[in-house]
Amino acid sequence: MITRVTSTQLLANSAQTMQAAMARLSTLQQQASSGKRLAVPSDDPAGTAASMQVRGQQAAVAQYQRNAADGMGWLSMVDGALTNSTALLQQARNLVVQAANSGAMSQAGRDAIASQLQGIRDDLLQTANTQYNGRSVFAGTSDTAAFDPTTYAWSGTASASVERRVGSDAAIRVDVDGSTAFGTGATSVFASLDTIISNLHSGADVSSGITAIDAGLQSVSGAQVVSGSRYAQMERAKDSLSSQSIDLESQRSDVEDVDTVQSLVALQSQNLAYQAALQVTAKALPMSLLSFLS
Amino acid sequence: MTSSFGLLNTAYTALTAARTGTEVVGQNIANAATDGYVRQRANTVSVAAVSTGMLRSGVQVGGGVAVLGVARLADPLLDGRVQTTSSTNGYWSVQAGAMSTLETSLHEPGATGISATLQGFWSSWQTVASNPGNASQAGALLQKAAQLTSAIGAGYRDVTSQWSQQRDQVASSVTTVNALAGQVAALNSQIRQTVAAGGNANELLDQRAKLTTQLADVSGATVRDLGDGQVDVVLGGNMLVSGSTTRAIQLAGTTELGGASSDPARLVWADTGAAVQLDGGRIAGGLAVLAGTGPLAQAADAYNSLATTIATQVNAIHSTGATTSGATGLDFFSIAAGVPAALGLAVVPTDVSGVAAGAVGAGALDGSIADRIARIGSQATGGPDAQWATFVVATGSAASTANTQSTLAGSALASATSAQSSQESVDMDQETTDLLTWQHAYQGAARVLTTIDDMLDTLINKTGLVGR
Repeated sequence: MITRVTSTQLLANSAQTMQAAMARLSTLQQQASSGKRLAVPSDDPAGTAASMQVRGQQAAVAQYQRNAADGMGWLSMVDGALTNSTALLQQARNLVVQAANSGAMSQAGRDAIASQLQGIRDDLLQTANTQYNGRSVFAGTSDTAAFDPTTYAWSGTASASVERRVGSDAAIRVDVDGSTAFGTGATSVFASLDTIISNLHSGADVSSGITAIDAGLQSVSGAQVVSGSRYAQMERAKDSLSSQSIDLESQRSDVEDVDTVQSLVALQSQNLAYQAALQVTAKALPMSLLSFLS
Repeated sequence: MTSSFGLLNTAYTALTAARTGTEVVGQNIANAATDGYVRQRANTVSVAAVSTGMLRSGVQVGGGVAVLGVARLADPLLDGRVQTTSSTNGYWSVQAGAMSTLETSLHEPGATGISATLQGFWSSWQTVASNPGNASQAGALLQKAAQLTSAIGAGYRDVTSQWSQQRDQVASSVTTVNALAGQVAALNSQIRQTVAAGGNANELLDQRAKLTTQLADVSGATVRDLGDGQVDVVLGGNMLVSGSTTRAIQLAGTTELGGASSDPARLVWADTGAAVQLDGGRIAGGLAVLAGTGPLAQAADAYNSLATTIATQVNAIHSTGATTSGATGLDFFSIAAGVPAALGLAVVPTDVSGVAAGAVGAGALDGSIADRIARIGSQATGGPDAQWATFVVATGSAASTANTQSTLAGSALASATSAQSSQESVDMDQETTDLLTWQHAYQGAARVLTTIDDMLDTLINKTGLVGR
């Protein structure tokens, strides 16, 4: 069937074809220049769902990384304080051993040792009240200092702990229960030191104090082992979080971003198609019988 | 041939026909670019030989050419196709436009959408869990919460204002339909009178065809030819235009998105108030967008239910917690009564003293409640994030479908228009050829005239002079 083709129809068709080519070119140009495959959800509804999920995970992982960094700060502060405490207790033990051995030691000598022990007790108390970001690291969830300077009562809540979340179902404890490490009230290591000091002043035997200090040393180093293993756990979590974050970024890019090479090739070929449409239109449209009549 | 002078008349008819033909070609060329112009052709017919009387015999030659009229070369079938496809195209282009506006207003996927704001909100809870009682971290949380409520409110307002704009658009389309119907009715009576008087109504027919195509695009109305030059325009089975009378339509129903389900925006006949059933066109597309189950009403519901879910889930955990000063049973979000939840969502605490981050009895600086609230965000199902993602994906799919339909309807219209213009539009080459034909016919007729004149001259002036 021979269809009638008119110049009006030809013009309208050319305009439409060029318009469509221009629209495709514009879409490709927008994709290539923004680098994004997904501008609106209708570009790829399934991809949008994936993209939103990955972005949610990315935000969560970024927050977990901040939590882990904060947790490592806590744990290293705890570790430093415990190391310091061990040294102080070791020093106190040496002094007490010295005072217990020297039966011939004068009262003046014992008083001097007592005042040294007082200094050590104050240092130890200060160490046990070490703060990180304004919070006592041995006080658990309490908002005051971990140990009262006079009664040596621990201010924390036994069942509560300070944790840092490093995964949707993983949290690592970052504090150390001060009552486990140092004891509390009359049974605390500070109270034991006080007993030794008053015994020294009164001239009583202090050899039982050595046992008390040894017990204190043991619980402090026990706490240090625990906090050390948590530090290692936190470090592993941090490493795994940073590799997760890289994986998620590449997933996000897969879903949202255009393949640059592919996009450039598509852009070039569309550009070519548009130019061809322009050329053909420019050549075909001016043709008319009138051009050949004189 | 009746006489020598009869031949002169034949030549005269030929000259007249050629002149008429040239005039028609001129009219075609003049309107080559006129929108809606249908090409015309001079219809000529040969005049039969006059044979009177029984005694007449011998060869009889016809009496020249007669111009019957100027035909308008329209094809009702192709016109009908253009009207049907216009109606479908109008419907889907409005839908696609509305869906595109809606999905752009979501700002997803990206760093500025509600999902990013939600993630920021949950992260802030995590920070508060690490630093309970810290005034600046609590301040950051409250700011994020305010961002979230304002993002939900702004999204809801976008939807309501889009609804109002869409309604205004439909209302102006309804006005257009009534105006177009009036013009068609007026043309109907003009055409009937012209045709009855034996005149040429081709240009009036062009105008009317253009108007009925516009009517099909806007309202999906169909055209029925009455045969006397008039057409009826039918809208949903009822007459919009019948001969020279029209029936007005109007937009009824709610003017607010809130009333879309109880009193939906609808099209009614102005005189009876009965509903107009539409099959296509922009108005039908607009009404589908405005409907109580339409995309805008669904989007508004999604914002409201997002606000309710966030408030319910956060409050459920927050109210079990305690502030640093030990206060318990506090809500974090409130939803004002009497307004849509999306607009009524507000943050209750004004500073750190109202944020219950810790469990009761677990110490002043416990962060376990804040941690639990932060974990609402990582719920795979049932959480606000999942709910929002479901809505975004559903909107994206609907927009994608509307786009595809609109593209299909657009190409169907383009092919119908192309077929119509192939048949009805002016082709310069053809007009040039016709022009040459008529020109030659005119020249030939003039030569016939000269020849007869010459013959008569011979007969009158040269006969009977032999031997003079």
